Amino acid sequence: MLPIEPRLLTCFQMVFPNLSEAQILAASTDTVPAWDSMATVKLFSLVEEEFGVAPDFEYLDEMTSFTRFAERLREQIG
Amino acid sequence: MKLVEALQLGGKPLDPDQPTKTLALVCGFTPLHLETFLLAYARSGSSGRNLKISSGLYGDLLGNVDRASAAGPDFAAVVLEWADLDPRLGLRSSGGWLPETLPSIADAVRDALRKIEQSLARLAEKAPVVLSPPTLPLPPVAHTAGWQASGFVLSLEALLAGFLERAATLANVHIVSRQRLEEVSPAASRLDPRMELGAGFPYSAAHADALAKLLWTVLDPPAPKKGLITDLDNTFWSGILGEAGVTGVTWSQEDHTQIHGLYQQMLASLAASGVLVGVASKNDAALVQEALGRTDLLTPLHSIFPVEAHWGAKSESVARILEAWNIGADSVVFLDDSALELAEVQARFPAITALQFPSSNRPDELWRLLWHLRDLFGRPQILEEDRLRAGSLRAATHFSMTSTTGASPAFIASVEPEITLDFSKTTDLRRAFELVNKTNQFNLNGRRLTESDWTNKLEDPDGFLLTVSYQDKFGPLGRIAVALGRKSAGVCFIDAWVLSCRAFSRLIEHQILRHLFLITGARDIIFDYTPTARNSPLQEFFSSVFGAEWKASEAVPDGLRLPRNRFEEICPELPHRIKETAIASH
Repeated sequence: MLPIEPRLLTCFQMVFPNLSEAQILAASTDTVPAWDSMATVKLFSLVEEEFGVAPDFEYLDEMTSFTRFAERLREQIG
Repeated sequence: MKLVEALQLGGKPLDPDQPTKTLALVCGFTPLHLETFLLAYARSGSSGRNLKISSGLYGDLLGNVDRASAAGPDFAAVVLEWADLDPRLGLRSSGGWLPETLPSIADAVRDALRKIEQSLARLAEKAPVVLSPPTLPLPPVAHTAGWQASGFVLSLEALLAGFLERAATLANVHIVSRQRLEEVSPAASRLDPRMELGAGFPYSAAHADALAKLLWTVLDPPAPKKGLITDLDNTFWSGILGEAGVTGVTWSQEDHTQIHGLYQQMLASLAASGVLVGVASKNDAALVQEALGRTDLLTPLHSIFPVEAHWGAKSESVARILEAWNIGADSVVFLDDSALELAEVQARFPAITALQFPSSNRPDELWRLLWHLRDLFGRPQILEEDRLRAGSLRAATHFSMTSTTGASPAFIASVEPEITLDFSKTTDLRRAFELVNKTNQFNLNGRRLTESDWTNKLEDPDGFLLTVSYQDKFGPLGRIAVALGRKSAGVCFIDAWVLSCRAFSRLIEHQILRHLFLITGARDIIFDYTPTARNSPLQEFFSSVFGAEWKASEAVPDGLRLPRNRFEEICPELPHRIKETAIASH
């Protein structure tokens, strides 16, 4: 099993194709203007497709950064 | 397709050197993944490679239809769900499911469908529309348990069925098959309540993928195949003719050989819709002739042409049939029960679609084959020309079919040819549009027109459309040629010019040019000519017009100019009787 971050990075690259790898690792809703609620939903779907776990929509408002996505995934899949 | 693949395909940059096409995705929910998948499927094909998608406002399907009409897109996909007809039929409304409210829901659905129908008709005047009927299950609004259909739900289904039946009669509106959608996206796995409540997007990713693929396929279907070549023994009928004899081959339920009866029934249906049906059989020719004369055949003999029955290679038969039909192997399906024969034909004609007829104990495979054939040959409507095709090809064996030239004026005169020239832009133009978009050989530039391109050209006040029909003593060919252009300052510009290969060798192309000079009064005709890999008959005609020094392989950026006096020098005696209808005011 690959570590979480590189696979999560691929998901983010699909939604934010113009960001560099370094920018994605530091990305948050405050630093990326294109990151709106629809972008978060797309990320949820890509994460579900990639990791086979469905993020809970109750966390929608909390998923505001790459780091937060990675933390939440670690909580879900260990 | 996975979402990640769809995002990759849809994320490719547009080609700035190619015209951008637009697709209006009209729905009442957040289009989200449906838009992503639709763009991906569109960009995967040639017609949608430079496509952009626009969508509307959340919760306003009717307004979105009207906004799409105003924008005038190249294509439109209208995706209807029950919640668009009354929000109480969706998950995001709490309007109540009390028994006494159900009549008002039915009234709201009726009213919404009526308004959508009117708006849809306006949208269809601007662009081809694919309409998806509701795909999501109804919520448990009625009092019955889930295993029993309620009168309320049946009344909604009846309203919807009436709406769809009327919508299907609108020109330019094509409706997604609910049966096919059920096959590729089972009803129980379509709704994603979590996404609907969390993001306003009601579809599971798998359903969005399946529906997007169907929507684009309906909007941009593959070109239908034109001809089917069938084997006889253990394919067209059960049994070996040489062993069982003429009365021993069967195709009926009574004889437990019904799969062959169903296949014959399918061939008859295809032939009636304009598909060419030929026979390639390793058999005794006289015996085949006798067997095909049986009156209980479900594919009538008159719909089969030609019949190649001998002991030579099947590929030889296929070659002769393709020559008689004058079409390419890529437009043809070959059906045989023998894997060896299929391989032999496929080796010589790699572009042919070779399909194996199933063995008699596999009716399940026959069922799939019948649907596969319908998909390969399906067309949105049947035109009069489709019904004439087989008969006219049989008659055309009197002419040289591989070249536009060949038959002498004296011979042509002997068949009592009559040409009808119609300059009307208001009569049924579906055949003209179809001819421009499917003719390859005598085609000025090979350019395909979208319905909006077509409409724009017809609306040009200086533009003209000439549709040409032909008949002779062997029968009518129907509408076989189209010229689309405009007149300006004494010059007639031809943007599109096609002539069906069924009408070659009759000097019809000369008659068309003579009348274009005559009707428009132009000094010169300028052709928007481009050589293509397949328009050699057109190139050959131009060589006869412009002389040996003309180079067919070179594109002519400013157009190919034909002065009137040059045309009069080379034009032979034309023996046709001419009928003119709806002469334009040029």
